[in-house]
Amino acid sequence: MSAEEAPASASVVKDVVVSSMEVEAFRRLFPLQYIERYLDAAVRPDGRPLGRARPTDVVLGQVPTTDGSALVRLGNTTMLAGVKLELSVPSTETPDQGRIAIDFQMPPICSPHVRPGRPAEDACAINEQLSNVLASSQLVDLREFSITSGKSAWMAHLDIYCLNADGSLLDAALLASTAALMDVQIPAISINDEGKVQIINFREDQDEPMVDAEKVSETKRKVVDKRRLKLGPAPVAVTCMLYKNHLLADPTAEEEAVLHTVVIVVLDSPDNLISLYKPGGSVLATTSTVMDCIAVARLRLKEVHRILEEATKREGED
Amino acid sequence: MDFLSPEGLRLDGRRALELRQLQAEVGVVEKADGSATFEMGNTKVIAVVYGPREVQNRNQQQHDQALVRCEYSMASFSTGDRRRRGKGDRRATELSLVIRQTMEAAILTNLLPRSQIDIFVQVLQADGGTRACCINAATLALADAGIPMRDIIVSCAAGYLNSTPILDLNYLEDSGGGPDLTVALFPKLNKVSLLQMDSKIPIDVFEKVMSLASEGARTVAQFIKETLMENTTQLALAKGPPKF
Repeated sequence: MSAEEAPASASVVKDVVVSSMEVEAFRRLFPLQYIERYLDAAVRPDGRPLGRARPTDVVLGQVPTTDGSALVRLGNTTMLAGVKLELSVPSTETPDQGRIAIDFQMPPICSPHVRPGRPAEDACAINEQLSNVLASSQLVDLREFSITSGKSAWMAHLDIYCLNADGSLLDAALLASTAALMDVQIPAISINDEGKVQIINFREDQDEPMVDAEKVSETKRKVVDKRRLKLGPAPVAVTCMLYKNHLLADPTAEEEAVLHTVVIVVLDSPDNLISLYKPGGSVLATTSTVMDCIAVARLRLKEVHRILEEATKREGED
Repeated sequence: MDFLSPEGLRLDGRRALELRQLQAEVGVVEKADGSATFEMGNTKVIAVVYGPREVQNRNQQQHDQALVRCEYSMASFSTGDRRRRGKGDRRATELSLVIRQTMEAAILTNLLPRSQIDIFVQVLQADGGTRACCINAATLALADAGIPMRDIIVSCAAGYLNSTPILDLNYLEDSGGGPDLTVALFPKLNKVSLLQMDSKIPIDVFEKVMSLASEGARTVAQFIKETLMENTTQLALAKGPPKF
């Protein structure tokens, strides 16, 4: 290569880099500056305005082996929630209440940062927050799960699996939990005069319950039909990211990794807070920033309630 | 249940806007780099800080900032009924994460690159407001260890019972079903680092409770400053007059 040629070839290389490679390299090498440039132009790397959440999709009844299930997609974040009901004896302190056990799982398939084996710290934190939110939101009245006071009640196991972790995990997990609970159908049961409860299984090809005719005639039975769970207003979580003066709603994993400071707001109606969560972070909040986050959450609340309504309608049609 | 008597007194005799008695002691553990106990009424927490020291797990080392680790645990005798809590306890893990993130915001981690700071917080007696008490104890322990912080970080809880905002809930009030809001803030900057609330609450009430909790935290800040001042004075006296 001669001295005259060198600058020319360098500029060609530079052009090639500029055309396709440079953005990707810049993104990997300087993730903060990459996002900052977008924020200065008041857009996000995926083209959203700062305050808007990603497209959200809710499908109910995806898993036929459960009593209620939902698949939720929030952008790329995917959550699958299922509710299994089983008969149990209520605790003596709350004889006319059932129980609900929540388990949030982040298997290694969901993100490269999750290691197999011990549950991740984040998973524990989300699990705890989810339990707190569901307990304080009055979404489920636990008395709904009661069958006979002091003797039997339903125990609901709500398991949420994160299939793809791309930010705003609590938002998606809560939405999946709510949707799965909306989908719950409490099976029909028969209670004999000794108070023994039995689940009646309907076969798909016949409408008659699969209980032996002789047995029915032997003892008096009370049959309780299958029913839907009555639910309160659905709580909606919105994750907001704070960076300098910007407020980003529903961050992706890429944004979460770089910007650090997060505020999670949970509402169930425009002027009822259920939970507020701001764990540390480098950006400090004043009361007005918190109120801004609540305002963003209010807008999102309407949208999510509409999405949930549509999902139930679609489920009803099928 | 009535949490306020007609005279406006609470179950433990306090008024609605009154903190419990605060008590703190710095340097309680000989071998640690920094340690402190902090008491808010019957809630008592001990915090111990080791570091800055060499990073134990080399692949966690960060070249531009210190690694902060935190472990929260509750003594099995700390609550009314004895409960053995394992290390994998969900609540404990969540709290460890929250305390770590809060303290990380306070520590000037960029001044201590390639080092590790361990914070261990142990609840000895739990009577409501453990979260706030843990953060206060950790602040004192960090200050005792001489770790650079942008400001002390102080915390206080507040709630809303019988349609009255109430400061610094004890266990009975905490389990009264009302909201429980914990705030941690930097008193000089007057900015909030941690904010945690789990309960149904109208937004206008939230603002009241939040400002009350912040006010409580500022009072705690005053107390912590006095404690540190006294501790420093005693250290200076023990060292004797400067020699020239």
